[in-house]
Amino acid sequence: MSTHAVRTARGYTVHMANEAGSQIDPVVAAYLKDVDRTLLRENLKLTPEERIRKLQDFVRAAVALREAPRSTDR
Amino acid sequence: MTATDFEGLLRRLVDEGVEFIIVGGVAAVVHGSARATFDLDVVYSRTPDNLRRLVASLAAIRPYLRGAPPGLPFSFDIATLQRGLNFTLTTDMGDLDLLGDIIGGGGYEDLLPFAETIAVFGFRCRCIGLAKLIAVKRAAGRPKDNEILAELETLRQERDRLNGRSES
Repeated sequence: MSTHAVRTARGYTVHMANEAGSQIDPVVAAYLKDVDRTLLRENLKLTPEERIRKLQDFVRAAVALREAPRSTDR
Repeated sequence: MTATDFEGLLRRLVDEGVEFIIVGGVAAVVHGSARATFDLDVVYSRTPDNLRRLVASLAAIRPYLRGAPPGLPFSFDIATLQRGLNFTLTTDMGDLDLLGDIIGGGGYEDLLPFAETIAVFGFRCRCIGLAKLIAVKRAAGRPKDNEILAELETLRQERDRLNGRSES
């Protein structure tokens, strides 16, 4: 499969497949520089189940925080 | 607000033999995304048998139209599922989107060739593949998806790197 290279502002080169409709949108390419690649690499070390559990923990914590009583005291 | 119980919802669907494919944010997480999502999106088969299984699996957790005022005459039954297509629901186990069809992906049968079987929590279920997830997000054309698309494209590259494919 032929590819084309997209250079990001952080120096990463992303190679995109040239099949019909798969080329990266220039707008999306502008966001590539902000992707935390280190975080994604850590996630990829996990199993799908571990990834969902991690999400579950975050969602539970976020909902608990959202519903925590708010004090007007300083 | 109820924190969505992803394992619990998936287990209910699987235990009842519902034919479904995980899509959306949870699918992105399955593929390694670091983005949080608060609901579970699934594309479901619209065969009569599957609608019956869907009702059997979810009725006990009281699905209701998310964001709708309380007291509407909404009944989660086969007739309701047949009359509609995509349902954004709240349940006792959290938020669940039942999608009969998605832009860029079509229905269950259309997505099936692009689904992967994943083993989670002691059972197996289907999840949309990364390439198709990217295609679906792209087809949706929503500005808010641009960041997600960049992350998914990066994941695809990282996965290819791990699989030893050439990046040049």
